Amino acid sequence: MLRYILKRLLIAVPLIFGVLTLTFFIIRLAPGDPAAFFIQPGISPNVAEQIRQQYGLNDPLPVQYIKWLGNVLHGDFGRSFSRAQQPVVEVIAEALPVTMTIAILTLIANFVFGIIIGVISAVRQNSFLDRFLTVTALFFYSMPEFWFALMMIILFALKLPLFPVSGLNEVGAESYGAFGFIMDRIWHLALPVTVLSINGSAGIARYVRGSMLEVIRQDYIRTARAKGLSERVVIMKHALRNALLPVVTLMGSSLPFIFSGALFIEVIFAFPGMGRVTVEAIFARDYPLIIADTFVSGIMIVFGNLLADVLYAVVDPRIKL
Amino acid sequence: MTMKTNKRVARLLSISLLAAATLLSACSKHGGKGGSLSGAARDTTLVIGMLGDADYLNPVIGASLTSSEITGLIYPGLLQGEFDTKTGLVNYLALEKRLRPSSGNPDERSPKSALAKTWTMSPDHRSITYILRSDARWADGQPITSRDFKFAYRLYGNPVIASPRQQSLAELVGADKGQVDFDKAIETPDDTTLIFHFYKPVPEHLALAHTSLTPLPEHLWKNVKPAEFRESKLNQQPVGAGPYRLAEWNKQQTLTLSSSVTCNLPKPGNIKRIIYRVIPDYTVRLAQLQTGDVDVVENVKPEDFPAVQKANPNVDLKTIGLRVYDYVGWQNIDGDYYNQTGKLRPHPLFGDASVRRALTLAIDRQSIIDGYLGQYGVLAKTDISPSLKWAYDDSIKPYGYDQTQAVRLLEQAGWLPGPDGIRQKNGKRFSFVLCTNAGNARRNYACTIIQQNLREIGIECKIEQQETNVFFQNLQERKLGAWMAGWAIGLEIDPLDVWGSDLKKSRFNFPGFINPRIDQLCELAKSKMRTEDARPYWVEYQKILHEEQPITFLYWIRETQGFSKRIQGAKLNISGTYYNIDDWTLKPSVAP
Repeated sequence: MLRYILKRLLIAVPLIFGVLTLTFFIIRLAPGDPAAFFIQPGISPNVAEQIRQQYGLNDPLPVQYIKWLGNVLHGDFGRSFSRAQQPVVEVIAEALPVTMTIAILTLIANFVFGIIIGVISAVRQNSFLDRFLTVTALFFYSMPEFWFALMMIILFALKLPLFPVSGLNEVGAESYGAFGFIMDRIWHLALPVTVLSINGSAGIARYVRGSMLEVIRQDYIRTARAKGLSERVVIMKHALRNALLPVVTLMGSSLPFIFSGALFIEVIFAFPGMGRVTVEAIFARDYPLIIADTFVSGIMIVFGNLLADVLYAVVDPRIKL
Repeated sequence: MTMKTNKRVARLLSISLLAAATLLSACSKHGGKGGSLSGAARDTTLVIGMLGDADYLNPVIGASLTSSEITGLIYPGLLQGEFDTKTGLVNYLALEKRLRPSSGNPDERSPKSALAKTWTMSPDHRSITYILRSDARWADGQPITSRDFKFAYRLYGNPVIASPRQQSLAELVGADKGQVDFDKAIETPDDTTLIFHFYKPVPEHLALAHTSLTPLPEHLWKNVKPAEFRESKLNQQPVGAGPYRLAEWNKQQTLTLSSSVTCNLPKPGNIKRIIYRVIPDYTVRLAQLQTGDVDVVENVKPEDFPAVQKANPNVDLKTIGLRVYDYVGWQNIDGDYYNQTGKLRPHPLFGDASVRRALTLAIDRQSIIDGYLGQYGVLAKTDISPSLKWAYDDSIKPYGYDQTQAVRLLEQAGWLPGPDGIRQKNGKRFSFVLCTNAGNARRNYACTIIQQNLREIGIECKIEQQETNVFFQNLQERKLGAWMAGWAIGLEIDPLDVWGSDLKKSRFNFPGFINPRIDQLCELAKSKMRTEDARPYWVEYQKILHEEQPITFLYWIRETQGFSKRIQGAKLNISGTYYNIDDWTLKPSVAP
């Protein structure tokens, strides 16, 4: 399996590199100018030119590409145009943990709730509870996340002021002590993670339900029941484990999706995470930062897919890598 | 299912849980001192909600408005600027001298923050000499001297640093030859004397504006190479001398200023702490204003305000003057032809001034105002703001909504109804695309009404929204025939960039409007040594714009800022929402 993983990682290198090269050219060909901010009355016309010179945008495109390539091969992604020349690696190092926290919490919540709801729906197939859960799940699944987030803010932060409206921490949270700080952080994360995971777990619940229904009809489940095992053991041990096989692979592939979902959530809840960094970089035509963001999300997708394949082999002994 | 896999899954799960916990603690690394915001702390802390973070807390390179506002609180100024709401004139104060005498302006400021004691303009208006006070010190205790100014001006003028304020150096000796000669242009005979030399006579108010750029402490910055200026760590720890100091800066989250107790320029800020909180989403900024987590939110849309105030009566809406207007731009010249040949010919649709007047008459501007801005909109006649009372011409009658008159003008110009109901002239249909930038609800609203109005007199107008960057680029390249956009005006009237006849030089003359008299009037106005004396020129300028209608001026927008009622003593005018923020006080909350 180690060999398989290594092989996959090796294939990923030219893939990601190709994506970066494409991004490099596409963003430079797109209309818009990173120095556009400096083109306004009252600011000397020389400023935009000097800024472009600083950013190295006056060189011909192939020269820019070779310079960029050299830097990237040395692990230098350059400095952000729009964030006061901060090295982009630093920008991402600050933003990534925020997004990762949201993504991982969401992933866990997704699967925990998704599996519970899915199992209940499957076991009580066609009951009122099943119908209710199915309709509710579909209802949330089809709701746009940004709108849902705003509704949650109105409900749980304005009408019933239970949760904070935005930010990662209360102003002055540093004085609460380590435990207080983390509790404050969790309190701030409650709404966004709920928004993201209600939507995601609704989808997973549908998967689990379908997969469970298929497994429950298998002969070995009938055998297990015939042996006189309790229904609990039959469902949890015999049925669920087998039903989870296709679901586990979802875990890997849903990682990039949670990332893109976090995009809206971060803007709405004012979290300084990857999503906000990316959106702002695109609007500001911050080339180095856009490329670095593409790099990170490229890695996420490759890693997520690899994780899915590996997990599949881990949980299903019939599959050899 | 074997036990082995079972364990692996369990391990994987626990690893991811562990990772989550580590990440949570990793995020908490932003340490710092500070107190909770309950009770007493709240009474000494002002929280301002911002759309975006500051870029550089450095007067030389800070570009965004937020940056200059914060920099203005941290750094000292040579002069104190003052905006006279009675006349619309900018005044400059030194400790012992004022440009204009006091006029009973309600927004008067104390001159005690100025580093200059006084100044003298040479009789030939080619140099200005400042005498500085000797008791001013940087926050680290070093004295502020004239050399700090000369040092900073070299930085402002350095092309490698690319300061957005380099325009202020345009009159210094050598600038006419392309390179300011700093040794000749700025003299510092001793610590408290600072002399600027110009290559041409400069009106006093302009000289004051252009020579009062913020200084930097030479002793801290002298070893920073120009190429590394923007990256310097000193940008994160600004040392100034103003009423506030930077206490903490969590990038993209919060920026905290604390009142500088040693400040004598003019005094430590009244409110102990000011926290700028970055909240990118408008709805959320509004929600925070409503919950009281944030005290100030700029540009609250008037239509949202009643709901906010209903939920929290402790919130107030304050307006500044008229600084921003929207307009419909008409391409006066044939843009494609100009781009291809560099020659001028009138635009087939909008090249004729009487057609442009007809378009203005046909648009029901008042109903756009009534439907969207209400009392926060004022019909615009030209680009001289009614807030600049000294120059504004009250006698011009704005064009009313008069479709009969519009039709008459169009028919006189040869635009007659065609078989499909759309007007035609020589086989050309009066049909065009009105472009605007995406995501602006106000402009969308106005576009729809304009489309409807024009349809009624037989003109076809299609609306297209473009992403802001794309829109701006198309505008600069004259690719748009008609568009809706807006301008924010400066405090000094200098419209040559926007209306000058030399289209290569006047980068913002997007409509390609050409009228040599406008160029003359701008030059004449500039040559006046007193601002007010230029009024006759600006009156004529407004008449020409009104007559020619190079664009259809729609409305001035009274920008509205949401303020917590606990803020007292705030004066707002078009020079800024935070005009006198160091003088604000907070009303103590009732004891719990």
